[in-house]
Amino acid sequence: MRLEKCYFCSSTVYPGHGTMFVRNDSKMFRFCRSKCSKNFKMKRNPRKLGWTKAFRKAAGKEMAVDSTFEFEKRRNVPVRYNRELVSKTVQSMKRISEIKARRERAFFQQRMASKPEQEREQNIKEIEKNLHILSTPATRAKVEEERVKIVSRNTESSKN
Amino acid sequence: MIIMKSRLNVIDNSGALIVECIKVLRNARWASIGDEIVVSVKSAKPVPSSTPGTSATSKIRKGDVVRAVIVRTKKEIPRADGRFIRFDDNACVLINNQKQPIGSRILGLVARELREKKWVKIVSMAPKVI
Repeated sequence: MRLEKCYFCSSTVYPGHGTMFVRNDSKMFRFCRSKCSKNFKMKRNPRKLGWTKAFRKAAGKEMAVDSTFEFEKRRNVPVRYNRELVSKTVQSMKRISEIKARRERAFFQQRMASKPEQEREQNIKEIEKNLHILSTPATRAKVEEERVKIVSRNTESSKN
Repeated sequence: MIIMKSRLNVIDNSGALIVECIKVLRNARWASIGDEIVVSVKSAKPVPSSTPGTSATSKIRKGDVVRAVIVRTKKEIPRADGRFIRFDDNACVLINNQKQPIGSRILGLVARELREKKWVKIVSMAPKVI
């Protein structure tokens, strides 16, 4: 039995779950649960909803192009049973999922690499905004010093 | 869920376009895919008045009362594999008293449930069975 992908959120639709909508031009839309079905009925765009796979890929939050995706495809040609082929496939499935997990981790780390720097800048901005709350002149001087540092760094980078 | 006064599209070439259900021939409140109903034709293709030799008597006109089989419903129906399936519209095919389709062609897809309910002729005429 096939494990189809949900049209809306791209999760797997297991047997016995979900609904299928058939348009009059005979295009089939499978949904994993009523949430997806309802959102489709409301004519929402899955690329604009944060919880769907389509959004995460479009927004660069997950790997979109990778050779490991090539294996998971709808193939309409039936394959004759072959014991050797099955064992090989099972082996390679494990290996592929390993490689995929590693690549996903690398992708995530790369995405998060600039995060501490961003947070730091945001924090300083917030402190600057509410500088009047800070009492001692020493802290104010320190913040001022930080700000100058960031401004000078930004101008340098923009020059480059 | 077809009840009295429900309007359905007709997807064969019998001449009728839209029909209204006037009786569900089932011991239940509503009819679903594969069920037989009695309909009254609400709109039909105009019948050319001067066509000698053709079977003008069998042509469907507005106001006729005929039987029909439901082939698609908007209400989702359960499949044996646990999934539910629903279609874009409510549609039917007109049949005569011998339970044979009046039209010679079916335009558009029909549900697979028709085969289980012994409407094999309709299934074989349909361009696509889902």
